[in-house]
Amino acid sequence: MIRIENVSMKFNLGIEKNFSMKQAFIDLFKKKNKKNEEFWALKNVSFNVDKGEVVGLIGSNGAGKSTLLKIVSGVMKPTSGKVVVNGVISPMIELGAGFDPELNARENIYLNGAILGYSKKLIDEKFDEIVDFSELRDFLEVPVKNFSSGMTAKLAFSIATIVDPEILIVDEILSVGDIKFQEKSKKKMMEMIKGGTTVLYVSHSLESIESLCTKVVWLEHGKVVKVGDTKKICEAYYNEQMK
Amino acid sequence: MIKAKAIFGNFKRYWFLMTQLISRDFKKKYKRSVLGILWSLLNPILTMTVMAIVFSQMFRFKVEGINYLVYLMTGLIMFNYFSQASNMAMTSVVENFTLINKVYIPKYIFPIAKCLFIGIDFLLTLIPWIGIIVLSHFGLGEYTCHFNWYYLLLPYIFFCMFLFTLGIGFFLSCISVFLRDIWHIYGIVLTLWNYLTPVFYSIEILPAKLQYLMHYNPMYQFLTAARSIVLYGQRPSFTTLGILGLIGVGTLAIGAFVFKKKQDKFIYYV
Repeated sequence: MIRIENVSMKFNLGIEKNFSMKQAFIDLFKKKNKKNEEFWALKNVSFNVDKGEVVGLIGSNGAGKSTLLKIVSGVMKPTSGKVVVNGVISPMIELGAGFDPELNARENIYLNGAILGYSKKLIDEKFDEIVDFSELRDFLEVPVKNFSSGMTAKLAFSIATIVDPEILIVDEILSVGDIKFQEKSKKKMMEMIKGGTTVLYVSHSLESIESLCTKVVWLEHGKVVKVGDTKKICEAYYNEQMK
Repeated sequence: MIKAKAIFGNFKRYWFLMTQLISRDFKKKYKRSVLGILWSLLNPILTMTVMAIVFSQMFRFKVEGINYLVYLMTGLIMFNYFSQASNMAMTSVVENFTLINKVYIPKYIFPIAKCLFIGIDFLLTLIPWIGIIVLSHFGLGEYTCHFNWYYLLLPYIFFCMFLFTLGIGFFLSCISVFLRDIWHIYGIVLTLWNYLTPVFYSIEILPAKLQYLMHYNPMYQFLTAARSIVLYGQRPSFTTLGILGLIGVGTLAIGAFVFKKKQDKFIYYV
Protein backbone atom coordinates (compact mmCIF):
# COMPACT_ATOMS: atom_id res chain seq x y z
CA MET A 1 0.00 0.00 0.00
CA ILE A 2 2.79 2.42 0.88
CA ARG A 3 6.22 2.04 -0.65
CA ILE A 4 8.96 4.32 0.61
CA GLU A 5 12.09 4.15 -1.49
CA ASN A 6 15.35 5.87 -0.54
CA VAL A 7 13.57 8.93 0.74
CA SER A 8 15.80 11.83 1.77
CA MET A 9 14.67 15.20 2.96
CA LYS A 10 16.91 18.22 3.18
CA PHE A 11 15.98 21.41 4.96
CA ASN A 12 17.79 24.60 4.27
CA LEU A 13 17.99 26.30 7.62
CA GLY A 14 19.19 29.45 5.90
CA ILE A 15 15.69 30.06 4.59
CA GLU A 16 14.46 30.62 8.09
CA LYS A 17 16.76 33.56 8.42
CA ASN A 18 14.78 36.49 7.19
CA PHE A 19 16.19 37.55 3.91
CA SER A 20 16.36 41.30 3.85
CA MET A 21 18.54 44.14 2.69
CA LYS A 22 20.05 44.32 6.13
CA GLN A 23 20.86 40.63 6.16
CA ALA A 24 22.31 40.78 2.65
CA PHE A 25 24.56 43.63 3.79
CA ILE A 26 25.79 41.70 6.80
CA ASP A 27 26.39 38.61 4.67
CA LEU A 28 28.69 40.62 2.43
CA PHE A 29 31.21 40.85 5.23
CA LYS A 30 30.63 37.51 6.85
CA LYS A 31 31.97 34.30 5.49
CA LYS A 32 29.13 31.90 5.22
CA ASN A 33 29.43 28.26 5.79
CA LYS A 34 26.86 26.83 3.43
CA LYS A 35 27.30 23.30 4.71
CA ASN A 36 26.14 24.28 8.16
CA GLU A 37 22.85 25.51 6.85
CA GLU A 38 21.85 22.15 5.48
CA PHE A 39 20.01 19.75 7.64
CA TRP A 40 19.01 16.28 6.58
CA ALA A 41 15.79 15.37 8.35
CA LEU A 42 15.67 12.04 6.54
CA LYS A 43 18.38 10.09 4.80
CA ASN A 44 17.80 7.10 2.53
CA VAL A 45 14.76 5.82 4.33
CA SER A 46 13.17 2.78 2.73
CA PHE A 47 10.46 0.42 3.89
CA ASN A 48 7.10 -0.92 2.81
CA VAL A 49 3.73 -0.98 4.43
CA ASP A 50 1.52 -3.78 3.12
CA LYS A 51 -2.23 -3.86 3.05
CA GLY A 52 -3.70 -4.42 6.49
CA GLU A 53 -0.42 -3.90 8.30
CA VAL A 54 -0.17 -1.64 11.31
CA VAL A 55 3.32 -0.15 11.22
CA GLY A 56 4.68 1.73 14.21
CA LEU A 57 7.29 4.45 13.93
CA ILE A 58 9.49 4.99 16.95
CA GLY A 59 12.51 7.15 17.66
CA SER A 60 13.51 10.04 19.88
CA ASN A 61 12.39 13.63 19.31
CA GLY A 62 13.76 15.04 16.09
CA ALA A 63 14.37 11.63 14.56
CA GLY A 64 12.30 12.57 11.52
CA LYS A 65 9.06 10.78 12.29
CA SER A 66 6.75 13.73 11.70
CA THR A 67 8.62 14.74 8.55
CA LEU A 68 8.12 11.23 7.23
CA LEU A 69 4.39 11.38 7.97
CA LYS A 70 4.15 14.70 6.17
CA ILE A 71 5.91 13.26 3.14
CA VAL A 72 3.66 10.21 3.05
CA SER A 73 0.54 12.33 3.35
CA GLY A 74 1.74 14.52 0.48
CA VAL A 75 2.23 17.79 2.34
CA MET A 76 5.93 17.77 1.48
CA LYS A 77 7.80 16.41 -1.48
CA PRO A 78 11.02 14.53 -0.64
CA THR A 79 14.32 16.01 -1.82
CA SER A 80 15.15 12.68 -3.38
CA GLY A 81 13.60 9.25 -3.43
CA LYS A 82 10.06 8.15 -4.04
CA VAL A 83 6.90 7.50 -2.09
CA VAL A 84 4.21 5.43 -3.76
CA VAL A 85 0.83 5.31 -2.08
CA ASN A 86 -2.03 3.16 -3.35
CA GLY A 87 -5.22 4.29 -1.73
CA VAL A 88 -6.84 7.26 -0.11
CA ILE A 89 -5.00 8.57 2.92
CA SER A 90 -6.75 9.87 5.96
CA PRO A 91 -4.23 11.88 7.96
CA MET A 92 -5.02 12.25 11.63
CA ILE A 93 -2.03 14.44 12.23
CA GLU A 94 -3.48 17.85 12.86
CA LEU A 95 -7.10 17.99 13.84
CA GLY A 96 -9.26 20.92 12.93
CA ALA A 97 -7.01 22.17 10.16
CA GLY A 98 -8.82 24.96 8.44
CA PHE A 99 -11.49 25.63 11.02
CA ASP A 100 -12.65 29.14 10.47
CA PRO A 101 -13.37 30.79 13.82
CA GLU A 102 -15.92 33.14 12.28
CA LEU A 103 -18.11 30.37 10.92
CA ASN A 104 -20.47 28.32 13.04
CA ALA A 105 -20.10 24.63 13.82
CA ARG A 106 -22.41 23.50 11.01
CA GLU A 107 -20.50 25.48 8.39
CA ASN A 108 -17.18 24.33 9.78
CA ILE A 109 -18.18 20.67 9.50
CA TYR A 110 -18.64 21.19 5.77
CA LEU A 111 -15.52 23.31 5.34
CA ASN A 112 -13.25 21.01 7.34
CA GLY A 113 -14.77 17.96 5.69
CA ALA A 114 -14.03 19.42 2.27
CA ILE A 115 -10.46 20.11 3.31
CA LEU A 116 -10.08 16.49 4.40
CA GLY A 117 -11.28 15.49 0.94
CA TYR A 118 -14.80 14.33 1.80
CA SER A 119 -17.55 14.70 -0.77
CA LYS A 120 -20.67 16.73 -0.11
CA LYS A 121 -22.72 13.54 -0.24
CA LEU A 122 -20.63 11.88 2.43
CA ILE A 123 -20.91 14.83 4.79
CA ASP A 124 -24.65 15.09 4.21
CA GLU A 125 -25.04 11.43 5.08
CA LYS A 126 -22.78 11.47 8.10
CA PHE A 127 -23.74 14.88 9.39
CA ASP A 128 -25.91 13.62 12.23
CA GLU A 129 -23.37 11.01 13.19
CA ILE A 130 -20.68 13.70 13.45
CA VAL A 131 -22.89 15.96 15.53
CA ASP A 132 -24.00 13.18 17.85
CA PHE A 133 -20.47 11.93 18.41
CA SER A 134 -19.20 15.41 19.17
CA GLU A 135 -22.05 15.98 21.67
CA LEU A 136 -22.41 19.52 20.33
CA ARG A 137 -25.93 19.50 18.89
CA ASP A 138 -27.00 22.48 20.98
CA PHE A 139 -24.10 24.55 19.67
CA LEU A 140 -24.47 23.99 15.93
CA GLU A 141 -25.24 27.62 15.16
CA VAL A 142 -22.54 29.05 17.42
CA PRO A 143 -19.37 30.44 15.80
CA VAL A 144 -16.38 28.26 16.58
CA LYS A 145 -14.47 31.24 18.00
CA ASN A 146 -16.82 31.08 20.99
CA PHE A 147 -16.07 27.40 21.61
CA SER A 148 -13.83 26.27 24.42
CA SER A 149 -10.67 24.48 23.29
CA GLY A 150 -12.18 21.18 24.43
CA MET A 151 -15.30 21.71 22.34
CA THR A 152 -13.25 22.60 19.28
CA ALA A 153 -11.14 19.48 19.73
CA LYS A 154 -14.24 17.32 20.10
CA LEU A 155 -15.73 18.69 16.91
CA ALA A 156 -12.47 18.27 15.01
CA PHE A 157 -12.05 14.71 16.21
CA SER A 158 -15.59 13.79 15.24
CA ILE A 159 -15.13 15.09 11.70
CA ALA A 160 -11.75 13.44 11.18
CA THR A 161 -12.82 10.00 12.35
CA ILE A 162 -16.08 9.70 10.44
CA VAL A 163 -14.61 7.88 7.45
CA ASP A 164 -13.43 4.33 6.98
CA PRO A 165 -10.05 5.18 5.57
CA GLU A 166 -7.99 2.98 3.31
CA ILE A 167 -4.80 4.24 4.87
CA LEU A 168 -4.72 5.85 8.26
CA ILE A 169 -1.86 8.02 9.46
CA VAL A 170 -1.83 8.61 13.17
CA ASP A 171 0.49 10.82 15.18
CA GLU A 172 -0.15 9.66 18.75
CA ILE A 173 -3.52 8.34 19.80
CA LEU A 174 -5.55 11.43 20.35
CA SER A 175 -7.73 11.58 23.33
CA VAL A 176 -9.37 14.95 23.69
CA GLY A 177 -12.04 16.64 25.73
CA ASP A 178 -13.34 15.65 29.16
CA ILE A 179 -12.81 12.22 30.71
CA LYS A 180 -15.91 10.76 29.14
CA PHE A 181 -14.97 11.98 25.68
CA GLN A 182 -11.35 10.92 26.16
CA GLU A 183 -12.45 7.36 26.69
CA LYS A 184 -14.84 7.55 23.78
CA SER A 185 -12.27 9.02 21.39
CA LYS A 186 -9.63 6.54 22.45
CA LYS A 187 -12.01 3.68 21.83
CA LYS A 188 -12.94 5.08 18.44
CA MET A 189 -9.30 5.34 17.37
CA MET A 190 -8.55 1.83 18.54
CA GLU A 191 -11.48 0.63 16.48
CA MET A 192 -10.16 2.42 13.43
CA ILE A 193 -6.67 1.03 13.86
CA LYS A 194 -7.81 -2.50 14.57
CA GLY A 195 -10.48 -2.43 11.87
CA GLY A 196 -8.21 -4.01 9.28
CA THR A 197 -7.07 -0.79 7.62
CA THR A 198 -3.48 -0.04 6.80
CA VAL A 199 -2.00 2.15 9.48
CA LEU A 200 1.15 4.18 9.91
CA TYR A 201 1.36 4.98 13.57
CA VAL A 202 3.73 7.26 15.47
CA SER A 203 3.84 7.09 19.23
CA HIS A 204 6.12 7.48 22.20
CA SER A 205 4.09 4.99 24.15
CA LEU A 206 5.87 1.67 23.63
CA GLU A 207 3.00 -0.04 25.38
CA SER A 208 0.47 0.97 22.74
CA ILE A 209 2.94 0.25 19.94
CA GLU A 210 3.46 -3.25 21.22
CA SER A 211 -0.23 -3.91 21.57
CA LEU A 212 -1.24 -2.53 18.17
CA CYS A 213 1.58 -2.86 15.66
CA THR A 214 2.45 -5.78 13.46
CA LYS A 215 5.77 -4.22 12.47
CA VAL A 216 8.00 -1.43 13.79
CA VAL A 217 10.37 0.98 12.10
CA TRP A 218 12.98 2.58 14.37
CA LEU A 219 14.23 5.93 13.14
CA GLU A 220 17.17 7.86 14.55
CA HIS A 221 18.71 11.04 13.12
CA GLY A 222 16.77 10.57 9.92
CA LYS A 223 18.02 7.06 9.30
CA VAL A 224 16.35 3.72 9.73
CA VAL A 225 18.04 1.84 12.55
CA LYS A 226 15.96 -1.30 12.38
CA VAL A 227 12.82 -2.64 10.77
CA GLY A 228 10.98 -5.72 11.80
CA ASP A 229 9.42 -7.63 14.65
CA THR A 230 7.60 -5.39 17.11
CA LYS A 231 8.71 -6.98 20.34
CA LYS A 232 12.42 -7.28 19.55
CA ILE A 233 12.78 -3.75 18.26
CA CYS A 234 10.81 -2.18 21.08
CA GLU A 235 13.03 -3.93 23.54
CA ALA A 236 16.22 -2.86 21.78
CA TYR A 237 14.91 0.69 21.52
CA TYR A 238 14.02 0.82 25.20
CA ASN A 239 17.44 -0.46 26.21
CA GLU A 240 19.17 2.02 23.94
CA GLN A 241 17.18 4.93 25.33
CA MET A 242 17.68 4.01 28.95
CA LYS A 243 21.41 3.41 28.62
CA MET B 1 -3.94 13.37 -22.87
CA ILE B 2 -3.62 11.23 -19.77
CA LYS B 3 -2.18 14.21 -17.99
CA ALA B 4 -5.10 16.40 -18.99
CA LYS B 5 -7.44 13.71 -17.72
CA ALA B 6 -5.61 13.58 -14.41
CA ILE B 7 -5.83 17.35 -14.03
CA PHE B 8 -9.57 17.35 -14.67
CA GLY B 9 -10.10 14.39 -12.36
CA ASN B 10 -8.27 16.25 -9.64
CA PHE B 11 -10.30 19.34 -10.35
CA LYS B 12 -13.54 17.45 -9.97
CA ARG B 13 -12.38 15.95 -6.72
CA TYR B 14 -11.56 19.34 -5.24
CA TRP B 15 -14.50 21.20 -6.72
CA PHE B 16 -16.49 20.77 -3.52
CA LEU B 17 -13.64 22.26 -1.51
CA MET B 18 -13.56 25.16 -3.95
CA THR B 19 -17.26 25.87 -3.44
CA GLN B 20 -16.75 25.67 0.31
CA LEU B 21 -13.90 28.19 0.19
CA ILE B 22 -15.97 30.56 -1.93
CA SER B 23 -19.03 30.27 0.28
CA ARG B 24 -16.83 30.88 3.32
CA ASP B 25 -15.67 34.14 1.76
CA PHE B 26 -19.26 35.16 1.14
CA LYS B 27 -20.41 34.27 4.64
CA LYS B 28 -17.56 36.21 6.20
CA LYS B 29 -18.01 39.20 3.96
CA TYR B 30 -21.65 39.68 4.90
CA LYS B 31 -21.59 38.50 8.48
CA ARG B 32 -23.53 40.72 10.85
CA SER B 33 -24.72 43.03 8.13
CA VAL B 34 -28.44 43.66 7.96
CA LEU B 35 -28.66 43.81 4.19
CA GLY B 36 -26.29 40.90 3.65
CA ILE B 37 -25.77 39.83 0.08
CA LEU B 38 -27.83 42.80 -1.10
CA TRP B 39 -24.66 44.81 -0.57
CA SER B 40 -23.10 43.06 -3.54
CA LEU B 41 -25.74 44.83 -5.61
CA LEU B 42 -26.07 48.00 -3.61
CA ASN B 43 -22.37 48.67 -3.35
CA PRO B 44 -21.72 48.96 -7.10
CA ILE B 45 -24.87 51.05 -7.55
CA LEU B 46 -23.75 53.53 -4.91
CA THR B 47 -20.15 53.58 -6.14
CA MET B 48 -21.40 54.18 -9.65
CA THR B 49 -23.54 57.05 -8.47
CA VAL B 50 -20.62 58.66 -6.70
CA MET B 51 -18.27 58.19 -9.64
CA ALA B 52 -20.90 59.43 -12.06
CA ILE B 53 -21.39 62.60 -10.05
CA VAL B 54 -17.67 63.17 -9.62
CA PHE B 55 -16.67 62.66 -13.22
CA SER B 56 -19.64 63.98 -15.13
CA GLN B 57 -20.65 66.86 -12.86
CA MET B 58 -17.47 67.99 -11.08
CA PHE B 59 -14.68 67.24 -13.53
CA ARG B 60 -16.97 67.38 -16.56
CA PHE B 61 -15.38 64.53 -18.42
CA LYS B 62 -16.95 63.77 -21.74
CA VAL B 63 -16.41 61.46 -24.65
CA GLU B 64 -17.91 62.83 -27.83
CA GLY B 65 -20.85 61.05 -29.34
CA ILE B 66 -21.48 58.42 -26.67
CA ASN B 67 -23.10 58.06 -23.27
CA TYR B 68 -20.34 58.96 -20.84
CA LEU B 69 -21.98 57.28 -17.86
CA VAL B 70 -22.06 53.91 -19.60
CA TYR B 71 -18.52 54.50 -20.85
CA LEU B 72 -17.30 55.13 -17.31
CA MET B 73 -19.19 52.24 -15.71
CA THR B 74 -18.05 49.68 -18.25
CA GLY B 75 -14.45 50.61 -17.57
CA LEU B 76 -15.00 50.78 -13.85
CA ILE B 77 -16.59 47.39 -13.25
CA MET B 78 -14.12 45.61 -15.51
CA PHE B 79 -11.03 47.22 -14.07
CA ASN B 80 -12.35 46.77 -10.53
CA TYR B 81 -12.77 43.08 -11.15
CA PHE B 82 -9.22 42.79 -12.37
CA SER B 83 -7.65 44.78 -9.55
CA GLN B 84 -9.64 43.16 -6.72
CA ALA B 85 -9.34 39.60 -7.98
CA SER B 86 -5.63 39.77 -8.78
CA ASN B 87 -4.95 41.43 -5.44
CA MET B 88 -6.84 38.82 -3.44
CA ALA B 89 -5.40 35.95 -5.45
CA MET B 90 -1.93 37.34 -4.71
CA THR B 91 -2.36 37.02 -0.94
CA SER B 92 -4.43 33.83 -1.03
CA VAL B 93 -1.62 31.28 -0.88
CA VAL B 94 0.25 32.97 1.96
CA GLU B 95 -2.98 33.42 3.93
CA ASN B 96 -3.59 29.69 3.78
CA PHE B 97 -0.10 28.67 4.83
CA THR B 98 -1.32 27.00 8.04
CA LEU B 99 -3.56 24.77 5.95
CA ILE B 100 -0.91 23.99 3.35
CA ASN B 101 1.42 22.93 6.13
CA LYS B 102 -1.05 20.47 7.61
CA VAL B 103 -3.04 18.73 4.90
CA TYR B 104 -2.44 18.02 1.27
CA ILE B 105 -4.50 20.35 -0.86
CA PRO B 106 -3.58 21.33 -4.41
CA LYS B 107 -2.34 24.87 -3.92
CA TYR B 108 -3.71 26.23 -7.17
CA ILE B 109 -7.15 26.03 -5.60
CA PHE B 110 -6.67 29.21 -3.55
CA PRO B 111 -6.03 31.74 -6.38
CA ILE B 112 -8.81 30.17 -8.45
CA ALA B 113 -11.26 30.36 -5.55
CA LYS B 114 -10.52 34.06 -5.06
CA CYS B 115 -10.87 34.90 -8.75
CA LEU B 116 -14.22 33.07 -8.84
CA PHE B 117 -15.39 34.71 -5.63
CA ILE B 118 -14.79 38.21 -7.00
CA GLY B 119 -16.18 36.93 -10.30
CA ILE B 120 -19.57 36.31 -8.67
CA ASP B 121 -19.47 39.85 -7.35
CA PHE B 122 -18.65 41.01 -10.86
CA LEU B 123 -21.65 39.18 -12.30
CA LEU B 124 -23.86 40.91 -9.75
CA THR B 125 -22.52 44.32 -10.77
CA LEU B 126 -23.65 43.54 -14.31
CA ILE B 127 -27.25 43.92 -13.14
CA PRO B 128 -27.03 47.65 -12.30
CA TRP B 129 -24.77 48.06 -15.34
CA ILE B 130 -27.45 46.72 -17.66
CA GLY B 131 -29.84 48.89 -15.68
CA ILE B 132 -28.08 52.10 -16.71
CA ILE B 133 -27.88 50.94 -20.32
CA VAL B 134 -31.64 50.51 -20.28
CA LEU B 135 -32.07 53.85 -18.53
CA SER B 136 -30.05 55.56 -21.25
CA HIS B 137 -33.03 54.88 -23.49
CA PHE B 138 -35.18 56.89 -21.17
CA GLY B 139 -33.07 60.00 -21.12
CA LEU B 140 -30.21 59.20 -18.75
CA GLY B 141 -27.33 61.10 -20.29
CA GLU B 142 -27.24 62.69 -23.71
CA TYR B 143 -26.84 59.64 -25.85
CA THR B 144 -28.58 56.29 -25.87
CA CYS B 145 -26.93 52.89 -26.12
CA HIS B 146 -28.23 50.25 -28.45
CA PHE B 147 -28.83 46.65 -27.67
CA ASN B 148 -27.67 44.35 -30.40
CA TRP B 149 -26.71 40.74 -31.06
CA TYR B 150 -23.05 41.50 -30.45
CA TYR B 151 -23.85 41.56 -26.73
CA LEU B 152 -23.56 37.79 -26.95
CA LEU B 153 -19.82 38.30 -27.39
CA LEU B 154 -19.53 39.96 -23.98
CA PRO B 155 -19.32 36.68 -22.00
CA TYR B 156 -16.39 35.69 -24.20
CA ILE B 157 -14.62 38.99 -23.52
CA PHE B 158 -15.26 38.71 -19.78
CA PHE B 159 -14.05 35.13 -19.77
CA CYS B 160 -10.80 36.13 -21.48
CA MET B 161 -10.37 38.82 -18.84
CA PHE B 162 -10.98 36.20 -16.15
CA LEU B 163 -8.26 33.98 -17.60
CA PHE B 164 -5.89 36.93 -17.79
CA THR B 165 -6.62 37.87 -14.17
CA LEU B 166 -6.15 34.30 -13.02
CA GLY B 167 -2.80 34.10 -14.80
CA ILE B 168 -1.60 37.26 -13.09
CA GLY B 169 -2.99 35.92 -9.79
CA PHE B 170 -1.04 32.67 -10.12
CA PHE B 171 2.13 34.52 -10.90
CA LEU B 172 1.80 37.02 -8.04
CA SER B 173 0.70 34.49 -5.43
CA CYS B 174 3.74 32.40 -6.27
CA ILE B 175 6.17 35.31 -6.05
CA SER B 176 4.68 36.56 -2.80
CA VAL B 177 5.60 33.29 -1.08
CA PHE B 178 9.28 34.08 -1.59
CA LEU B 179 9.20 37.85 -1.63
CA ARG B 180 6.54 39.46 0.50
CA ASP B 181 7.57 42.91 -0.77
CA ILE B 182 5.48 42.23 -3.86
CA TRP B 183 2.34 43.03 -1.85
CA HIS B 184 3.45 46.62 -1.46
CA ILE B 185 4.89 46.87 -4.93
CA TYR B 186 1.77 45.54 -6.62
CA GLY B 187 -0.40 48.05 -4.76
CA ILE B 188 1.55 50.85 -6.42
CA VAL B 189 1.56 49.06 -9.77
CA LEU B 190 -2.22 48.75 -9.62
CA THR B 191 -2.66 52.46 -8.96
CA LEU B 192 -0.42 53.28 -11.88
CA TRP B 193 -2.14 50.72 -14.07
CA ASN B 194 -5.50 52.21 -13.17
CA TYR B 195 -4.46 55.64 -14.40
CA LEU B 196 -2.76 54.24 -17.49
CA THR B 197 -5.96 52.51 -18.50
CA PRO B 198 -8.67 54.73 -19.98
CA VAL B 199 -11.27 53.95 -17.33
CA PHE B 200 -12.69 57.45 -16.96
CA TYR B 201 -10.99 59.33 -19.78
CA SER B 202 -10.85 58.81 -23.50
CA ILE B 203 -7.65 57.67 -25.15
CA GLU B 204 -7.90 60.65 -27.52
CA ILE B 205 -6.78 63.11 -24.85
CA LEU B 206 -3.39 61.39 -24.69
CA PRO B 207 -0.34 62.31 -26.79
CA ALA B 208 -0.01 60.21 -29.97
CA LYS B 209 2.94 58.25 -28.65
CA LEU B 210 1.09 57.14 -25.53
CA GLN B 211 -1.96 56.25 -27.61
CA TYR B 212 0.20 53.87 -29.57
CA LEU B 213 1.70 52.34 -26.43
CA MET B 214 -1.77 51.88 -25.00
CA HIS B 215 -2.38 49.00 -27.39
CA TYR B 216 0.07 46.95 -25.36
CA ASN B 217 -2.07 47.34 -22.26
CA PRO B 218 -4.22 44.17 -22.02
CA MET B 219 -6.81 45.92 -19.87
CA TYR B 220 -7.22 48.58 -22.56
CA GLN B 221 -7.92 45.83 -25.07
CA PHE B 222 -10.59 44.23 -22.87
CA LEU B 223 -12.24 47.55 -22.08
CA THR B 224 -12.24 48.72 -25.68
CA ALA B 225 -13.74 45.50 -26.98
CA ALA B 226 -16.61 45.65 -24.49
CA ARG B 227 -17.18 49.36 -25.11
CA SER B 228 -17.27 49.07 -28.87
CA ILE B 229 -20.15 46.63 -28.51
CA VAL B 230 -22.11 48.51 -25.87
CA LEU B 231 -21.49 52.09 -26.93
CA TYR B 232 -20.92 51.95 -30.66
CA GLY B 233 -22.87 48.84 -31.53
CA GLN B 234 -19.86 47.53 -33.40
CA ARG B 235 -18.50 44.02 -33.37
CA PRO B 236 -14.81 43.92 -32.45
CA SER B 237 -12.82 42.54 -35.37
CA PHE B 238 -12.00 38.86 -35.35
CA THR B 239 -8.35 39.79 -35.00
CA THR B 240 -9.17 41.68 -31.81
CA LEU B 241 -11.22 38.80 -30.46
CA GLY B 242 -8.38 36.44 -31.29
CA ILE B 243 -5.89 38.68 -29.54
CA LEU B 244 -8.09 38.78 -26.43
CA GLY B 245 -8.22 34.99 -26.34
CA LEU B 246 -4.48 34.85 -26.80
CA ILE B 247 -3.87 37.34 -23.98
CA GLY B 248 -6.12 35.31 -21.66
CA VAL B 249 -4.82 31.86 -22.45
CA GLY B 250 -1.21 33.02 -22.78
CA THR B 251 -1.12 34.83 -19.45
CA LEU B 252 -2.81 31.91 -17.71
CA ALA B 253 -0.34 29.47 -19.27
CA ILE B 254 2.65 31.51 -18.11
CA GLY B 255 1.23 32.08 -14.63
CA ALA B 256 0.25 28.44 -14.20
CA PHE B 257 3.63 27.29 -15.46
CA VAL B 258 5.55 29.43 -12.95
CA PHE B 259 3.19 28.36 -10.18
CA LYS B 260 3.54 24.68 -10.99
CA LYS B 261 7.34 24.94 -11.18
CA LYS B 262 7.61 26.55 -7.78
CA GLN B 263 4.73 25.08 -5.78
CA ASP B 264 6.71 22.27 -4.17
CA LYS B 265 9.05 24.85 -2.66
CA PHE B 266 6.24 26.75 -0.92
CA ILE B 267 6.35 24.47 2.09
CA TYR B 268 9.87 25.62 3.03
CA TYR B 269 8.76 29.23 3.24
CA VAL B 270 5.73 28.66 5.42
